[in-house]
Amino acid sequence: MIGVAKSVTRIFGLTVKELRDLVRRPGAILSLIFGPLAIMALFGAGYEGVRKPFETVVVLPPNSQLPHDAKTYQDIPALDVRIVAVTEDQTAAEAQLARRDVRLLVYVPADAEARFRAGQQATVRVAWNSIDPVEDNIAKATTQLLVDELNTKLIAVAAGEGMRLANVPNTVVPPEVIAQPLQVKAENRSPVPATVLFFFAPAVFALVLQHLAVTLTALALVRERLSGAMDLFRVAPVRAWEILVGKYVAYGLLSVVVGAAVAALVVRVLGVPLAGAPERLATVVILLTFASLGAGLLISLVADSERQAVQLAMLLLIVSVFFSGFVLPVDEFRPVAQGVSYLLPVTFGIGLMQDIMLRGEGGSATFLAALALMGVALYAVDTMRLRQVMRRAG
Amino acid sequence: MSHVTRRFRDVVAVDDVSLQVEQGTIVGLLGPSGSGKTTIVRMLTGTLAQSAGELSVLGVRPDRFPARLRERIGYMPQLFHLYPYLTASENVAFCASLFGLFWWRRRRRVREVLELAQLGGARHRLAKDLSGGMQRRLSLACALVHEPSLVFLDEPTAGLDPMLRQAVWAEFRRLRDAGCTVFVTTQSVTDAEACDRVALLVRGHLIAHAEPEYLRRAVFGGEVLDVRTSGRTDPRVVKAVPGVIEVRPSREGRLIVIADDAGKAAPRITEAVSATGARVLSADRYEPSFDDVFVALVERSGLDRDEEEVGS
Repeated sequence: MIGVAKSVTRIFGLTVKELRDLVRRPGAILSLIFGPLAIMALFGAGYEGVRKPFETVVVLPPNSQLPHDAKTYQDIPALDVRIVAVTEDQTAAEAQLARRDVRLLVYVPADAEARFRAGQQATVRVAWNSIDPVEDNIAKATTQLLVDELNTKLIAVAAGEGMRLANVPNTVVPPEVIAQPLQVKAENRSPVPATVLFFFAPAVFALVLQHLAVTLTALALVRERLSGAMDLFRVAPVRAWEILVGKYVAYGLLSVVVGAAVAALVVRVLGVPLAGAPERLATVVILLTFASLGAGLLISLVADSERQAVQLAMLLLIVSVFFSGFVLPVDEFRPVAQGVSYLLPVTFGIGLMQDIMLRGEGGSATFLAALALMGVALYAVDTMRLRQVMRRAG
Repeated sequence: MSHVTRRFRDVVAVDDVSLQVEQGTIVGLLGPSGSGKTTIVRMLTGTLAQSAGELSVLGVRPDRFPARLRERIGYMPQLFHLYPYLTASENVAFCASLFGLFWWRRRRRVREVLELAQLGGARHRLAKDLSGGMQRRLSLACALVHEPSLVFLDEPTAGLDPMLRQAVWAEFRRLRDAGCTVFVTTQSVTDAEACDRVALLVRGHLIAHAEPEYLRRAVFGGEVLDVRTSGRTDPRVVKAVPGVIEVRPSREGRLIVIADDAGKAAPRITEAVSATGARVLSADRYEPSFDDVFVALVERSGLDRDEEEVGS
């Protein structure tokens, strides 16, 4: 009984020490607590989430009889294309594209009508100049939709012309229906609007939480190892698990407080919906914090200097950004890379938070279990490693 | 410690040292920088393994200290390792909690040891804002807060002013009188004189381990007399006196005489000198400084010759 009371005394002492040590550094508090809040606020307020339309130049063939006024073409595509100029000067237009002053060139074929009458397809060339693969894909899709739209319009015109020659009244089958007999009525069954802010806010929340917990703890033990305080721990009757529990409690409390503040900001100020149960979200915050603290402490226990600890924490952040599903969906990676994804607490955190906040679901039980298991495994590894560190030097 | 050796790669920091310490004594481990003092303390506290030999502290191998035994050990490392953003009293309270002191005893002890270390007025100051000497005192307070029965203090008085040094030594004696064993490393021969027993360490070798007075006598081979005569006296005359072991001419008209028993030898020397026509002006007991003792012991050991300094 006394042994347990002494353990509690030691853990409480360690927890209080960590919290005092932290709150006495205004700079650290500012960056650790207000930093995540500022990131969330800036993200919510600063990101429009609207892709700008392609500034497009229509290049007409020489001596074309087609209208040279940009406004005439503006209603043709009905896509994310904004006609900024219509010109016959191909060289100047291509120079604009090369300088990336415009993003799309549409070359109108000179022989479209003749080829059509000859029973051949005419070719509409579209060019862009992008190194961004996402933009490249969007340009391809836009181009295809543009050509589909043009074809539809041409068919409608031809149908109308044929019906007029055959004296068929437009009221029977309108030419637009002949050209486009099917139309799409699409609906997104998502319980919340699929906006960029809504989609990314839970992901940023999860990432901020993981990074906060990791950076808080990444330096926690490396400093003590390097300062010689570890010798005091070796001599004192304190056990490795007590030291770790002290740190988990201190940094966990702080992370959960920051997590609650960020959640309030996300929901109350940015207006991101919390469709699921708040206690479910709180569970995810606690589990994600638990696992992330374990990852940070592991960094602290393997790094041989403060500089290396900071580098490893940054490396974990970068890996998390790429592999967690934050930017790119996890299932688009090869299985080996997906293995990396599922070694990161934030991967589970993002999935769970999006499910709970946006879909109103309880979150995948597998993900919750995986996060809890990861936390326990990291705690066990940290304890073993700290025991090794505390064992007397050989 | 029995035939304990510690090597750091090819450097021997502690070489075949055997040492036994009685409970309730103040033991000073005296030696110059790099002599292996800290290495010995680290091995005894269980933070460093020995390369060879046997170690036993409070009857237990240091690598097998149970928690209950650790609660009886205090340790003040050589370097300040406390928490700069905690106040003096918070640092001491933290150390107390590590040793499992419950809050009521902790509160009392924190106040007591801070007063002892003359840090009562600085209890609310952050450790980083304390001077170097105050930080040493704070480390000392941390080592003593849980009232250990064995305390290892690695150069506890370094950087302390003479007044505080006296106060600290008074506390060490109080601890000793209460049954605590105080193991102190020091480079200061003044500190060593205050110990019950002194172990002299040079280049990892233990060259002596005894009471300071015994060492002083052992170095010179007997008691020392400073004899002043009215004229030049042939040392051979004094050497011939029964009980005189050695005579060393000193400054003009003076002789340093080493005798089995200074009290008995003094009248005989006076008589012998008078027989030569000279006169003994004074024959006083000479107390060589412990600095001299230390230098003499090192010279005698042959370890004073220039060698590569060992690390600790």
